[in-house]
Amino acid sequence: MLAMPTTTINLLPPDLLAQLERLELVTRKVFRGRLKGERRSKRKGQSVEFADFRAYVPGDDLRSIDWNLYARLDKLIVKLFLEEEDLHFYVLIDDSRSMDFGEPTKFEYAKQLAAALGFIGLVRADRVRIETLGQGLRQHGPVLRGRKSVWRMIDYLNSIKPGDSVPLAEGIKNFCLRNTGRGVVVLVSDLMDKSGYEAGLRYLVAQRMDVYVIHLLSQEEFDPDVKGDLKLVDCEDHDVAEISVSAPLLARYQRALNAFTSGAQEFCSRRGMNYLLAGNQTPVKDLISNYLRRRGLVR
Amino acid sequence: MTEWFRNTLSGWQWALLMLVPPAIIALYFLKLRRLPLEVPSTYLWKRSIDDLHVNSLWQRLRQNLLMFLQLLLVVLAIVALLRPGWQGSRLAGQRFILLIDNSASMSATDIDGGSSRLDEAKQLAEGLVDQMDSGMSAMIISFAEKPRVVQEFTSNRRLLRERLASIQPTARGTDLAGALELANTLAAAGKSARAGSDDEAAAAEPPPPTAYILSDGRFEDVEGVAVDHLKLAYVPVGSFDAPNLAITALSTRRNEERPEGQQAFVQVANFTEKPQKAVIELTLDGRFLDAAELRVPAGETSGRVFPLPTGAVGALSARLKYRLDSTTRDSLPQDDIGYAALNDTGTGDVLVVTPGDAALELALSTQRAARLAKIAVVSPATLESAEYRRDAENGAYDLIIYDQCVPAQMPRSNTVFVGRLPSASTWRQSHDANDNIDEEGNEEHAGAALVVAPQIIDWDRASPLLANVELGDVEIADSLVVRPPPGGTVLIETTAGPIAAIAPRENYQDAVLGFEIVGRDAAGAATANTNWPIKPAYPTFWLNVLEYSAAPSERHESSAIRPGRPVQLRAPAKVERLTVVAPDGRETTVDRSDQGTFPFTGTDQPGVYQVRQGAAVTDRFAVDLFDRAESDVSVRPTQDPESQTVRPADVRIGHVNVAATTDRAPSRHEIWKVLLACALFVLVLEWYIYNRRVYL
Repeated sequence: MLAMPTTTINLLPPDLLAQLERLELVTRKVFRGRLKGERRSKRKGQSVEFADFRAYVPGDDLRSIDWNLYARLDKLIVKLFLEEEDLHFYVLIDDSRSMDFGEPTKFEYAKQLAAALGFIGLVRADRVRIETLGQGLRQHGPVLRGRKSVWRMIDYLNSIKPGDSVPLAEGIKNFCLRNTGRGVVVLVSDLMDKSGYEAGLRYLVAQRMDVYVIHLLSQEEFDPDVKGDLKLVDCEDHDVAEISVSAPLLARYQRALNAFTSGAQEFCSRRGMNYLLAGNQTPVKDLISNYLRRRGLVR
Repeated sequence: MTEWFRNTLSGWQWALLMLVPPAIIALYFLKLRRLPLEVPSTYLWKRSIDDLHVNSLWQRLRQNLLMFLQLLLVVLAIVALLRPGWQGSRLAGQRFILLIDNSASMSATDIDGGSSRLDEAKQLAEGLVDQMDSGMSAMIISFAEKPRVVQEFTSNRRLLRERLASIQPTARGTDLAGALELANTLAAAGKSARAGSDDEAAAAEPPPPTAYILSDGRFEDVEGVAVDHLKLAYVPVGSFDAPNLAITALSTRRNEERPEGQQAFVQVANFTEKPQKAVIELTLDGRFLDAAELRVPAGETSGRVFPLPTGAVGALSARLKYRLDSTTRDSLPQDDIGYAALNDTGTGDVLVVTPGDAALELALSTQRAARLAKIAVVSPATLESAEYRRDAENGAYDLIIYDQCVPAQMPRSNTVFVGRLPSASTWRQSHDANDNIDEEGNEEHAGAALVVAPQIIDWDRASPLLANVELGDVEIADSLVVRPPPGGTVLIETTAGPIAAIAPRENYQDAVLGFEIVGRDAAGAATANTNWPIKPAYPTFWLNVLEYSAAPSERHESSAIRPGRPVQLRAPAKVERLTVVAPDGRETTVDRSDQGTFPFTGTDQPGVYQVRQGAAVTDRFAVDLFDRAESDVSVRPTQDPESQTVRPADVRIGHVNVAATTDRAPSRHEIWKVLLACALFVLVLEWYIYNRRVYL
């Protein structure tokens, strides 16, 4: 590798890169890639790798008839081959202000995760696109393909900043409208939308995409370190909540948090989406190599 | 009358105090500014708070917990300031005298919880003090054998309580009369002082002060005491059933069978209602000596004699060890021990005043005599010297032998007169009374009858002086007839009448031999008056004399000293200062008084006291609580004719019957201390919650 911008090191440290090189993105669904990729698809197609036989039906390509079998059996049998294809891989980052909290901030963490997953895709010649929820309907993220695009991806990731808060549903809807193709989408968000995350996620389901929801929460959200009588101000809508911190209140918060995460998980799993709760304290390396691998996003 | 609260603050102080709760509430209503904190989202918090709003009243209370705690603190403080209490009745009158018995019986621990009667009495007195309103004053007098003003009239309750706590138990007897007289005098003095200072007050005639007698009633009815300036109230302390066994006597005396040895006599009294078995353990200077089991019938005494080793010297103590039964304990442990002093009987000081009597001097010069006594021989001329007079007056000698001479004044010591009658009038009066003998003879023999050649008929073999003395073959040329005064004993009886006798004089014994051993004729030459000196009985007699009369321990043998009583100590003339070592090791220096004795008064502690001259222990004496009245600790009961219940007996003081107030002295139980403790706890809790934010 040549000289990298310093931020690269933040987003993709070398040891992570070494690990990511060995991984590839997986999808459980059958998608049609636009270009030949390095991926062995579930679809039968044209490649050198044999898959199956089946009886000829009119309209089949004559080139695929196994003439040796015709000679032996006097039947027209078509030889099927595995198709190799590329994968459309999207990373959708929640760039609302609420993501700009924590140490490291959830947004930074999301970018790092996006870079790592994107790198895997690029290395395997998949089609990678990284977008944010705050992007307008006409604004597209760059389409990246191939190892050489790593720099573009990183530059792009460095350029995005937490911006104006767009409701989750609207952001996802815009994403779906921009990207009509099917593929794998990884949504990295804290799902903290007062109007609810359900509507947004439904759009993704409707798109028939293979959806991974990475529910990213900061340590402060898991275990708030607050004391005394406080006026909590929401950074997005400047909504105010007055609280007097007490053990019961904290207990109730924990209950609310558990209800929130388990609700999201249930919602996702019912709709065939993969849900993963992540904290900003878990290293990206571990998240990918352990959790995402177990969930089947990478292999 | 029950009074729940007592005011302690004035109006403006209350007003100030009452401003505090509204101030606290106001501070809470001027709601504290909450600290703004930006968070990623209030999404989860809102949901949590929504949850909490369900029971909002309780939540609000919880949020204001600190305020409620502070209010509770203030309320507790206010209630404490109101001095809540109950079972108290207002004390009537203006002045009180608390007469607190601290005699030996008040050390009995028959009060529930094992505290002593004195503690109980002090507690009752404190209850009375607590009830005093401002403007009331009280005086505290403690009394045992002598009354003592513990605290003059004062309205300072704190001071009264302090002084009350300073009253210590004593081992003395009880003399209520003295205490009442003192209280009466002081009450009268207070009254006259008031009358003198303010005419109007005198016209109003303040009621006489009430004297509360806090005692167990272990005293005789008080007679002949005027208590016209006092109103009396008797508060009995103690229980009817206070089982106690006591040592009521421990004395040492010469062993009757073996005159050279001593024996100790221990008497145990049983003040319970059942026969008791007790073990008496005798120790000498802390070393075990002997022990014996003794059965004591209910309500009676029984004694036991212990032989003591020959020549034993030191502090003898007898300890009573017994078990009543598993539940009851001995109420008064102080009287389970008795003390006696065993003094060195080895050498007494003996003065022989003789014009020259070889037989006498020879008899007293034996080795054994030297072991028994230090013997000094002087001539009759010495009787006139100032030195002799002083020594005789001080009791410097244990025994003085006057051979053919008579002192002008009887000395303070045992005496033996040889051939003369003592100058004490009793010897001569007794003679006059039985006078049937002609009045002849010279001046020295005035009043005495001289008989010639009396034949000895009999002698008192039981007398220690004549122990082992055989007089059957003794012949006497002439002798005076010796008739002892009342109380005396004839030692030798002859055909012509008694010629030797012994009689007590104060604490001393005077022995008189009517015949001279060695007489003198008109020319002054020595003549033998009797053949006794050549008989073996002669030196034996003088040794008996030395053993019986010259032993210095005889002085204290008769009586044990009661605690608190003064002791007159004696010492040879040259000694000007004595040191008395109390049983606890405390040393007191005693100087010679004008009377020539050493008065020692610090005998509060039972035990054996040592008297030292320099470093040498010269004498010991024992102080003992041998008082049946104090040891019989049960409160005297009486049958109430109306209710048929047993209650403490009344006491008679003068001509007044003072009823025992069975329903205890009006004592007020106050809980302000508990309230303040609660307030303190609330304060700590509030601080904790404030710091830890742990709500409930």
